[in-house]
Amino acid sequence: MSEMIIRAEKLTKIYENGYSTVALQDVDLEIPRGSLSCIMGPSGHGKSTLLHLIGGLDRPTSGQVFLGNLDLTAIDANQLAEVRCRRIGFVFQFFNLLPVLTVLENVEIALMLAGTPPRGQREWAEELLDLVGLEDKLQARPNQLSGGQRQRVAIARSLANDPDILLMDEPSGNLDTKSERELLENIEKVNQRGKTVVIVTHSPTVAAVAHRIYYIQDGRLQKVAQNR
Amino acid sequence: MTRGKLVFKNLTRKKSRFLFTIMGISVGIASLVTLLSLGTGLEAEVKKQSQALGAELVVTPKGWCAYEQISVLTGETLPEAIPNADVEKVAAIKGITAIPYLVQRTAIKNQPVTVVGILPKPMKQFKNWEIDRGDYRLDQESAVVGSSIAQQFELKTGDKVTIRGTEFKIQGILKEMGNRDDLVIYLDLATAQKLYGVGDKVSFIAVKVDDVTQMDRYSQEIQERANVAVVSDKQLIRSVLAIMGTVRNTLQMIAAVAVLAAAFGIINTMLTAIHERKREIGILQALGAKRRTIFSLFLYESALYGLLGGVLGLAAGFALSFFAAPYIEQSEFTAFLGSAQSVKMFSPAVVGQTMLFAVVVACLAGIYPALKASRLSPVEAISYE
Repeated sequence: MSEMIIRAEKLTKIYENGYSTVALQDVDLEIPRGSLSCIMGPSGHGKSTLLHLIGGLDRPTSGQVFLGNLDLTAIDANQLAEVRCRRIGFVFQFFNLLPVLTVLENVEIALMLAGTPPRGQREWAEELLDLVGLEDKLQARPNQLSGGQRQRVAIARSLANDPDILLMDEPSGNLDTKSERELLENIEKVNQRGKTVVIVTHSPTVAAVAHRIYYIQDGRLQKVAQNR
Repeated sequence: MTRGKLVFKNLTRKKSRFLFTIMGISVGIASLVTLLSLGTGLEAEVKKQSQALGAELVVTPKGWCAYEQISVLTGETLPEAIPNADVEKVAAIKGITAIPYLVQRTAIKNQPVTVVGILPKPMKQFKNWEIDRGDYRLDQESAVVGSSIAQQFELKTGDKVTIRGTEFKIQGILKEMGNRDDLVIYLDLATAQKLYGVGDKVSFIAVKVDDVTQMDRYSQEIQERANVAVVSDKQLIRSVLAIMGTVRNTLQMIAAVAVLAAAFGIINTMLTAIHERKREIGILQALGAKRRTIFSLFLYESALYGLLGGVLGLAAGFALSFFAAPYIEQSEFTAFLGSAQSVKMFSPAVVGQTMLFAVVVACLAGIYPALKASRLSPVEAISYE
């Protein structure tokens, strides 16, 4: 049996905004190390909430999330930030690049937050941008790039601190078919380098490359499908 | 990438907002610097004027308050209250030289000018005056003027000045002394007393003692013999500085309020920036920025506002104090401020105090917004649209 890098036990998230909204209920989930997994389901049924919880961006109302042997629900905000910094990389639908920084600086900033000195930041950031084919856009601003290029910057940034796991929230949601294909190539490349990748998506094209697909509906895990 | 670079890029992304916030703090700092630098040279200037008076003791009418004591140094009009009988009693004391002053005012070309009635011969010896042009002669028809007065009103020896309807010939112009003696028209004491209708009274008596170790004894003896009060030059300086200090502190407090108002401008700017950059804060949190990192990034932005505003305010304040000093209206309170000598440009103390004040105020203003930014929930921030 392969080692599980992410384990969720009885994960429940209820939002209290004057009234209670159950976003996620009693979700048990295991994601193997080195796998490429997708979380699918209708909009507003808890996919992104699940991703935020397993990425340590949010805390569950009840239940536990383990990253390896580390219980993310038992550590404080600073330790959680440290985990996000070194062990998890995020890619979002709207790219979430910092508009005042260049492409190179957007990657460097992740390294800066991990305490890498400026010289080391530059060399490694250039290498990562080379990996995603943006070596000629180092000094460009995000608003000078296409959607596909921005998403590639976001992937390069997510890899900056050599995380164990990459969490992607609708990464192809704003991309055209060609850019989506390029994105998938990059995702597979990253996965082949040993990174665990978890993607929240509606796209069947993206789901087609996944090893496992988790279906979420009404905040519950309905089924797990094995692709290969 | 460094934190400093990130802070600077964020600070300057909205150029007009950046400039207006900086200007807000600069204006406050500039007013503070102006008042601080005007005051810095004050003590030296007061001492200089006291030295120019040349007396160790000043005999005044009983009941004079500190404001009137200031006028001994500034040359403002003083009430005439010491009769000649008392002047003679004081002058008769062995071991002292007593020089009576009658301080009055006149106007030349609508400009106020100090007129001092003196005993010509003792005064010249007492002050070590030298004549630049003409003769040192003061009588019922002749006057001697200070060098600045001559320069200001383009007076030459032989010219006439009218004081209270009486014409006086300018007999001599004194050599420049570099103090308030340059700003006075001198008349013979008896002539001045008659002209101003003050009988045989004088305003005060400057006293030089032969033995400075016996000052207390002289002071006591003067008060025993005549119905007068005595202050030493040191007491005079102390009381003048105390009054000046009060005025200066009040003005500086007003300027400090201007800086505090600018601090609210910083709070407002930072809160707006946090609102606009909420999603970016979420990105930083997703990338692993700790709460203290977010806090420090926003606090550095505020501090930089203080630093840059402080530097600009310092430059503007020094320029303002340099150019404004000569235009400050002369009065008991501002007489010393109104001379260029009283402005000490680039005093390290003023620079240090002001920069520290600017940065500390900006940092204090930045604490609340920075705390607010650091306490945002990552998922809420990153989902913000």
